[in-house]
Amino acid sequence: MFATVLKLVGRRVLAAIPILLVVSALLFCVLRLLPVDPAAMSLPPTATVAEVEAKRREMGLDQPLPQQFLIWLRDVLHGDFGRSIHLNRQTGSLVGATLPATIELALFAMALAALLGIGGGLLMFHARNTVFEAIADLGSILLLSIPEFLWGLILLFVFGVTLQVLPFTGRLSPGLPQPHITGFLLLDALLRGRFDIFLSAWQHLILPAVALALAFSPAIMRVLRSSLFDVYHEDYIEQARMRGLSERRILLVHALKNAVLPTLTLAGVQFGFLFSGTLLVEVIYSYPGLGNLMVDAVRNADLPLIQAVGLTYCVVVLVINTAVDSLYVVLNPKLRVR
Amino acid sequence: MALKLQRRAFLQTAMAIVAAASSGVMRAAAAGNDAVTIGWPNDIPSWDPNQRFTPDAQPIFKAVFDQPLDQDPQLNLVAHLIKRWSLAPDALSMAVELRDDVKFHNGDKMSTGDFRYTFFERIKSGTKLDTANSWQKVQDIVIESPTRAVMKFDSPAPTAPQWMAFLGSYLVPKRYIETAGLDTFRSKPIGTGPYKLVEYELNSRIVLERNDDYWGPKPKIARVTIQIIKDPSARVAAIQSGQVDCTVNVPVREVARFGKESGFAAELNPITRVILLQVRNDLAFADENVRLAAHHAIDKAALSKAFYGDAAVPLSVVATPGTPGYLPDFVFKYDPELARQYLARSNYGPGKPVAIGFATTNGQFPSDYDIARAIVAMWKKVGIDANLEVIEYAKYFELNRATKLPEATLYSWDNATGDPEIFAGYLLNPKMPFSAWKGMEVGQKVIDLRGVADYDRRIAGYRDLNRFAVESGATIPLLQSVLTVVRKQNLTYAKYANGWLLPQSMQWT
Amino acid sequence: MGGPISRSLRSARVLVALGLILGIGFCAAFAASIAPRDPAEQNLVATLLPPAWVTGGDPAFPFGTDSLGRCILSRLIYGARTAMTVAVFASLGAMIIGSILAHITGYFGGAIDWIIGRAVDVWMSFPPVILSLILMVGLGTGLDKVILAIVLVDWTRFCRVLRSEVLLVTGRDYVAAARLLGFTHWQTLLREVLPATLPLLITLLSLEMAIAVVVEAILSFVGLGVRADQPAWGQMIADARQYVYQSPWNLLLPIFAIFLTVTAFNLLGDGLRRTLDVRLAQSAR
Repeated sequence: MFATVLKLVGRRVLAAIPILLVVSALLFCVLRLLPVDPAAMSLPPTATVAEVEAKRREMGLDQPLPQQFLIWLRDVLHGDFGRSIHLNRQTGSLVGATLPATIELALFAMALAALLGIGGGLLMFHARNTVFEAIADLGSILLLSIPEFLWGLILLFVFGVTLQVLPFTGRLSPGLPQPHITGFLLLDALLRGRFDIFLSAWQHLILPAVALALAFSPAIMRVLRSSLFDVYHEDYIEQARMRGLSERRILLVHALKNAVLPTLTLAGVQFGFLFSGTLLVEVIYSYPGLGNLMVDAVRNADLPLIQAVGLTYCVVVLVINTAVDSLYVVLNPKLRVR
Repeated sequence: MALKLQRRAFLQTAMAIVAAASSGVMRAAAAGNDAVTIGWPNDIPSWDPNQRFTPDAQPIFKAVFDQPLDQDPQLNLVAHLIKRWSLAPDALSMAVELRDDVKFHNGDKMSTGDFRYTFFERIKSGTKLDTANSWQKVQDIVIESPTRAVMKFDSPAPTAPQWMAFLGSYLVPKRYIETAGLDTFRSKPIGTGPYKLVEYELNSRIVLERNDDYWGPKPKIARVTIQIIKDPSARVAAIQSGQVDCTVNVPVREVARFGKESGFAAELNPITRVILLQVRNDLAFADENVRLAAHHAIDKAALSKAFYGDAAVPLSVVATPGTPGYLPDFVFKYDPELARQYLARSNYGPGKPVAIGFATTNGQFPSDYDIARAIVAMWKKVGIDANLEVIEYAKYFELNRATKLPEATLYSWDNATGDPEIFAGYLLNPKMPFSAWKGMEVGQKVIDLRGVADYDRRIAGYRDLNRFAVESGATIPLLQSVLTVVRKQNLTYAKYANGWLLPQSMQWT
Repeated sequence: MGGPISRSLRSARVLVALGLILGIGFCAAFAASIAPRDPAEQNLVATLLPPAWVTGGDPAFPFGTDSLGRCILSRLIYGARTAMTVAVFASLGAMIIGSILAHITGYFGGAIDWIIGRAVDVWMSFPPVILSLILMVGLGTGLDKVILAIVLVDWTRFCRVLRSEVLLVTGRDYVAAARLLGFTHWQTLLREVLPATLPLLITLLSLEMAIAVVVEAILSFVGLGVRADQPAWGQMIADARQYVYQSPWNLLLPIFAIFLTVTAFNLLGDGLRRTLDVRLAQSAR
């Protein structure tokens, strides 16, 4: 098994490299379409035209596009991902400061989505052949129709503005210091033994995470339900029934175990979407993560930052997909190589 | 039953949510007598206060750093780090005497060496600083003693004292920057101000603690947390829930609502900030009839009523009431019929509109986008068809430099000094990046006035210029801006005419 | 195709969905006649009015007004036009490009399949929202640019899903039989393969319309969507956020409009999938 997983990961990494190269090249080209002059933007307003020209030469912007790309590539291999024009900081450090926040949100949201998805799917399946089936089915379609950004707004309105029971800005209440260990607030708070920080971080995560979970769990619910349907046609279910096992045991122990595989694959794919869904939710909740960084970069036409953050999203999604496929191999004996 | 598994999971999550919500940690916030949390709309561009001129960042800089001169709430210049100053009659030099009891946060004693470094050496060293523009006239700073120095200018600098209290003019520590390096200074800034920076999260929060060795009056508030909340509705929510004690730049309607709620106080403070249209002197605006028509067609009182609760004073010149350059008796009428007549002279009208470009920001200042859209509708009625485009504030300069700005741009200009040079002298100066107007009838007057050393002659000149500029359609002033402040009822602050909200002036009553 | 159509029309979901879509489409097409006022007409003295049934409301503005005094109901109706235009054209565009490529690669296979497959892989490794944001930054704002951006991002989805279906169908006996009978490649594709993939195509089209509506709303929300003078639900939401304490209706109504439209398309897609799928399973060709 280990060999298979290793081979898979290895193959994926190798395949990822050309993908990342092409993606960054594409990003590079698209961003050059922008009617924006990075040289002009990185100088103070009173710079003369001559100074702007000099800056352009210094930044290599007068070179042909492929050459610029190679320069960028060379810098990347040296660990230099470019400097944000607007914030005047290395994009690498900006991404490093915000990525843990987004990952924490995404993981929390995914855990909630899985919980809701599996629970909901089991419930929907259990309601089969009853009057609740149609209602549940319809309900899940309705849920599917509410994208995460609408959920974000609705939850903010209901729980933040109207009921005022949960915070909806940032990661921590003001006045609480951020323990800088891993960047994952929940973890860092525990490591420092600060329960108040943990609680505040938890409260700030709830609304954005629930918004994401509500958006991405219906798909999981539906896939689990339909895989359970498929599984229930198998012989061993009937055999288990004849052995006298209770319906509950059959469902939870035998059927679920076999139905979880396609569900897991979908959940993995959903995680990729969920991760990119964090962008809007972060904007709505002023959550200082990668999404807010991206929107700021886009609004300021900050090319190096757009490039770096765009690439980061790509890499994360690739990593997630590889991890999901590896998990699939681990769980599915049929895919393993002798 | 499958129900049990799912029910259990739901219950656990629900209980967690309820527990978290009712814990009350969220509401506790910082209601202590010596701590304050402020919700601020923007992060600082950099901890180097000389680097980028950003009006919104000045109150934060003024907490950590000191300026050589300061202003009182009525904007009169007062001594600060400089005890005495004297500008030569020809404005080619200025003698200053600094205090001798000032220390930087790291214990270094402040001296004229730091003064020379900030306003001369740093700038000449080639570091990219915005102060290189405001102090470009400095030829040298002659140090006579650790407290006395003379600034020498290569051309008359009549507003040098005003600039000492304006954007970016903060004293920075020479020894610290030279030994620790600029990057360290930017991440661990050291100033002479009433507060020290103890914590900084990019785009998130700034935590300041009182400097107990401060040379001046000690602030009442010991700990200040500035929470960066970019979204106006999030700021409103933050003050509503008690997460912050005070916030600014909230929608004007919220001010009215908070004014009625107990426990809160809300103010609309008129400040020395002008909302205007920066116009070009070419393209479709080459025609003076079109420019004047565009100005006459705007109902400024309606804009003030709709978006600023009637608190924004309509302006006919590029200066605010109470400042030397203001002309209380000069009114540029709202007259749509006159506008149509002007357009008719150039063969335009509602049936045959003139097409222009119009740029605005969205969220840069309260109701900016709304104002722009309202103006588009007002123009449509007289026969001006404006194509509205949203741009980022930073893009204005880039477009201007490339002469790609549209005919009109909605602009907000802050002048914390109130001096007319920093209003029209900058906004209409063709040699500066702020002006979209490059016409020399107005432009030459502006350039000439910058060299006039005599104060009364200078002010009189600006008053004439302000009137001339509006009458020839070189600028379209709209409103005096207001600062919206919402705070907890028992938190007070000093009201500055330029909108400065200084933590060192706050206290709990 | 009489059978599947009549079967589809008997499905409750499809009927409800079609009803909703027709209703919204009607609003979009006849906005000028239905909307009580000009959506761009500003009333600076009547800003942020609540809906007519709330105290303080004005019957002249049934759903109230926004921060510029514009009629919310009229803007919702005209917003439907924007949403439906984007939905129809963007998804058709994505479908045409995606399905043409899917059929070519699935049917012919070989080098073309490999190249396009790799292109799709690269494209899809990029989160769609991020890609559309970046594209909009590069292309500029406007209705046509929004449609273009959605087409450029989503054609891959059609391509990938349809390709598996095309592979499946191509492997069937009747396709081989058609070739043996002397039909050219193109004739085979059009006569045998396409009709078999059509049900999936239509389902995907419906789902894509739902996605297009959401993407347009997102782009307008962020300020990178249609132009300022065009009413769009996403823009209405962005405006309403600043005044959510005063007029929550300004926020809730466009949210509901988006929800209704997206639900309608999703319901249609789901209903079609059920009825047309059954047909596929039953067909013994």
